[in-house]
Amino acid sequence: MTRYLLRRFASTVVLLLVMVALIYVIFYALPSNPAVLVCGKGCGGGQLAAIDHKLGLDQPEYLQFWHFLEGIFVGRDYSSGPDVSHCAAPCLGFSFQNDQPVLSLIGQRLPVSLSLTTGAMVVWLLVGVSAGVLSALRAGRLTDRVVTAASVLAYGAPIFVSGMLLLMLFCGYLHWLDFPVYVPLTENPAAWAKNLLLPWFTLAIAQAAVYTRLTRTGMLETLSEDHIRTFRAYGVRERRIVGRHAMRGTLTPIITLSAYDFGYILVGAMLTETLFGLPGLGQLIVQSSNNVDLPVVAGLTLVAGAAIVVANTAADLLYAVVDRRVVLS
Amino acid sequence: MTAELITEVGVSTEAPTRGRQVRRRLLADRMAMAGLVVAGVMIVAALAAPLLIHLEGQDPTTYHPELLDSARGGVPRGAFGGAGGAHWLGVEPTTGRDLFARALGGARISFLVAFGTLIVQILLGVSVGLAAGLGGKVADAFLGRLIDLAISFPQLIFAIALLAIVPGTFPRPILLMIVIGLFGWGGVARLIRGQVLSLRTRDYVAAARLSGAGRVRIALREILPGVSAPLVTYAALLLPSNMISEAGLSFLGVGVRPPDSSWGQMLSTATTWFQADPTYVLVPGLLLLLNVLAFTLLADGVRTALDPKAPSLRGGRK
Amino acid sequence: MRTSPALLTAAALLAAATACSSSDSSSSSGTSAFDPKTCQGGTLYVLNQSDATAHHLDPARIYTSGGGAVTSLIFRTLTTRHRVPGEAGDEVVPDLATDTGKASDGAKTWTYHLKDGLKFDDGTPITSKDIKWGVERAFAPELPGGIPYLRDWLAGGADYKGPYKGKELDSIQTPDDKTIVFKLRKPEGDFPYVATATQFAPVPKAKDDGTGYEKHPVSSGPYKVASHEQDKSLVLVRNPYWSRSVDDQRLACPDRLEGTYGLNSAVINQRLSSSAGKDANAITTDTDLSPAELARISTDPSLKKRAVKGEFGETDYIAFNTKVKPFDDIRVREAVAYAVSRQSVVNAVGGSSLAKAATTFLPDQAAFGYQPYDYFPAGPNGNAAKAKELLAQAGHPNGLTITLAHRNADYNHDGPAVATALQAALKQAGITVNLKPYDDAGYGDTVQKPSTEPGMFLATWGADWPTGGPFLAPIFDGRQILEDGGNFNASQLNDPKINAEFDAINQITDPVQARPRWGALDAEIGKQALTVPLIHPIYIRLTGKNLKNAYLDQWRGSYDPAMVSVK
Repeated sequence: MTRYLLRRFASTVVLLLVMVALIYVIFYALPSNPAVLVCGKGCGGGQLAAIDHKLGLDQPEYLQFWHFLEGIFVGRDYSSGPDVSHCAAPCLGFSFQNDQPVLSLIGQRLPVSLSLTTGAMVVWLLVGVSAGVLSALRAGRLTDRVVTAASVLAYGAPIFVSGMLLLMLFCGYLHWLDFPVYVPLTENPAAWAKNLLLPWFTLAIAQAAVYTRLTRTGMLETLSEDHIRTFRAYGVRERRIVGRHAMRGTLTPIITLSAYDFGYILVGAMLTETLFGLPGLGQLIVQSSNNVDLPVVAGLTLVAGAAIVVANTAADLLYAVVDRRVVLS
Repeated sequence: MTAELITEVGVSTEAPTRGRQVRRRLLADRMAMAGLVVAGVMIVAALAAPLLIHLEGQDPTTYHPELLDSARGGVPRGAFGGAGGAHWLGVEPTTGRDLFARALGGARISFLVAFGTLIVQILLGVSVGLAAGLGGKVADAFLGRLIDLAISFPQLIFAIALLAIVPGTFPRPILLMIVIGLFGWGGVARLIRGQVLSLRTRDYVAAARLSGAGRVRIALREILPGVSAPLVTYAALLLPSNMISEAGLSFLGVGVRPPDSSWGQMLSTATTWFQADPTYVLVPGLLLLLNVLAFTLLADGVRTALDPKAPSLRGGRK
Repeated sequence: MRTSPALLTAAALLAAATACSSSDSSSSSGTSAFDPKTCQGGTLYVLNQSDATAHHLDPARIYTSGGGAVTSLIFRTLTTRHRVPGEAGDEVVPDLATDTGKASDGAKTWTYHLKDGLKFDDGTPITSKDIKWGVERAFAPELPGGIPYLRDWLAGGADYKGPYKGKELDSIQTPDDKTIVFKLRKPEGDFPYVATATQFAPVPKAKDDGTGYEKHPVSSGPYKVASHEQDKSLVLVRNPYWSRSVDDQRLACPDRLEGTYGLNSAVINQRLSSSAGKDANAITTDTDLSPAELARISTDPSLKKRAVKGEFGETDYIAFNTKVKPFDDIRVREAVAYAVSRQSVVNAVGGSSLAKAATTFLPDQAAFGYQPYDYFPAGPNGNAAKAKELLAQAGHPNGLTITLAHRNADYNHDGPAVATALQAALKQAGITVNLKPYDDAGYGDTVQKPSTEPGMFLATWGADWPTGGPFLAPIFDGRQILEDGGNFNASQLNDPKINAEFDAINQITDPVQARPRWGALDAEIGKQALTVPLIHPIYIRLTGKNLKNAYLDQWRGSYDPAMVSVK
């Protein structure tokens, strides 16, 4: 197990380095000059050169990449006018656009993205699993068909279509909700939840469909297994069978599986945040790629990539714990 | 972008079933047939787009300022976005271009990119997957990491950056196929590698190896037919996913370029209008939804027909 | 110049949005009339897309017209814009100084005296040395951004690297604590207008730590910074050392200002239109109504009442590079000018309520010296016949294929919406237009460098201050062709006669006298078809329902938070 983790860790580090290196390659290939955006209107050659120097863009590309790596492991220094400021390790550098440390930019936005994704995850597990159980218990009947049709429809809807339709329905015509505005949880929990309701469902809807199907199949399989039949034969009540025994068999793989969905959440959050204008990490990615804000994009990719790999590793481990037949290698 | 979704949908490892049997099962599947009909009608409409637009008597690029209420933000005059005998689905706000013609143009792009991307994904995925499965320990270790990389990449960032650096003269739909394909082959490769690893130990493959067949020969003759069933299923599922990817990138403004139209691009400009001119949102939105749905149902039908025991999107039959 | 959020998605996504209409139709609550004497109190909320201070709350790095909206509440400057509605809002008036400046040496030397009783927010008196320091630090390479005029105008400015290494700029002299003298390289009658920029705000040397200054800027205005998170939020509270007795240009009615930044335009308009809770006391200083929102509010009388209309001197146009074929041929440029459909362009940016067709380069306002002309009458829908005729004369009887470069987003009126409208119109005249989009960073870099500048592209020009000079000089003065980038003279016109006229008008220190000269110059240059003016935008913005005295000033086309009341 330890050896497995060590190997996984090493390959993760290599993988992340390759990702960031690729980002640098792509950004140097871009025909745009970030200094122009920083400089603004009417910015001539001398000023541009000064900004290039300040941002470190006048150094050779490989050196810039090296300084980025250096910052992560040992920290680096920045000129700030009269004196020099130090950015301690792990330093992801400073935004070209507003000189903010990339780490604190990410830190500022993290609560929004966490609110969105954890809420959506709760929604899709709750909605998906309960719809799946309902569907399995009523297999073949009208409820089952309605749930199935709804899940097929939900599965097929791209986030920006389903989000739009939800918006149209709930705030355009029914006026039940206002356009979502992010309110921090610590400030007003009720407003936080109310405002995130639409984004949660938008992000959750397609995933809920997948979980409905998985739960339904798992439930039907478990219910037809021998030990459940034995319980039935012994006269154990149906509710107890479903609640205690069948649920356990069905849920374990599903919860494990949700750890694998991290990549999906990330991309989904990017579209959802942009659709609703929520100031989270997804919006930051889109904004900074468009502003050629290299340090922010590189930092975000690193953090996002690391999160995906960690989540996948956790999922693998969980899976191995749950299902003894799986051997980690 | 929703390639991750597909990995949740189980793919069978069973050997292929006979063709006739598969066809019979598929024909008996009403949902899959509904999907097939819708998808078929859409594809025919897309192919016959110039004819249909000619029949309507419009074209996708001509501006019609006379059909707009300029003082009210350029909203189309008349109910349902100006729909009627002359413009079957109405006109676009602020330009007055014909929506029917633009929606059909969007259909062409959607299918073109979805199928083109699929070819890229299968070519890349199958070759990397086969090489990893058959190429020995070192190759597998290296290619395995590569597959991981392809799967766990924050694809959208790269897609946006890549689409931005390529010069504007490069044909956009082909570029989209390459970019979406480049980031979407990981799933295919993982599937093929897994299949190969499990098939490799089977008797008939072992027999072929003992009889002195080379690796490439084994790959093409013995393994590939064995993985074709799950591959077909997976490919069918990739199609709607590719449609969503194209629409998403166009929605984000890096996909198809004006004056060409795409459903995603239409949606992105349409979104502000859904109260003043709901028709404008509903046309591309519902078309995209309907299409993705049709192809998903069809793919699901194909999977169930190939392997009735596989878990289906619609719950399977017990 | 207005700052616009550089968002790829700005056009695409924001959007979703106009979404939730307000179900609320109650009439606005403020029934009593606005009275400056009793307007104090309450909190004003500002809902913006980008930080009201651009990317830095540092007076050296801000680039905004007339001192800006929110920034001018913190940073007082030597002169400022006249804060009244209508055309008088185009005038420049004294702020920290006793007058708008005394010119000598043929408008090459400008002298200012400070008012009495001026203090920073810590009680220390404001001296002319603080203003000199403020201007000097704007030259420091560590603090990029800001207005481009200082370097060009101040004697010795071109090579000056800021005061942090101990070197002063000798062309700024402070003979005593109340007097400051600026020596210019050339005559500039518009100097009082430039002195409205935040670079002319006092900065105490003792509190200046370079890039760190934006974290604790010292206020000279009615409010000081209580907290500021870049691109996210700003809280201003009253500065106890400020009073109306030392400032006759700001009412400063609210006790507190809270800004929220990073919102998308649709969210802002949605919140302003529903005007619920705190949003009833809200304004925006950077977000206009979109066409779709306009279509919606046109059917809602209570909303229509809260939609305020204004103008800002701006022209959106097609720029030609006369060094690139076939645009070296005036007949080709004229053919394009005849072929454009201004009606389609107006519709593309939101219809006749949000833009009007333009045939002159100068905006149609008196302050700019507007003089009407239309040398290549295209009518609302283009004159394809006349265009074809000119093309045939130029040796293109079978039509022409050209490329139009544009930005890949629409927020600045130089994006795909306008480009495709032109493409469709030029097709009627036998001109095939290929579109070439650029992202935000790439666009500026490409079109502002003569070596990479395309032959034809979409451009917009907004006034840094409302006179003809800053509107025409960067675009048509031959000595402002900048080879290394930052060039706006796209046509690369370098005509000695026109250059001489620029110099002559710059010596006039009375703006009213200069106006007809600017107008005549524009009308003269217009004959060469170096640009095709397309539209002048119109601004419509919403306010929360409790707002009083909210008008869009003529100088900037924006609300002035120094003048509004929420009581």
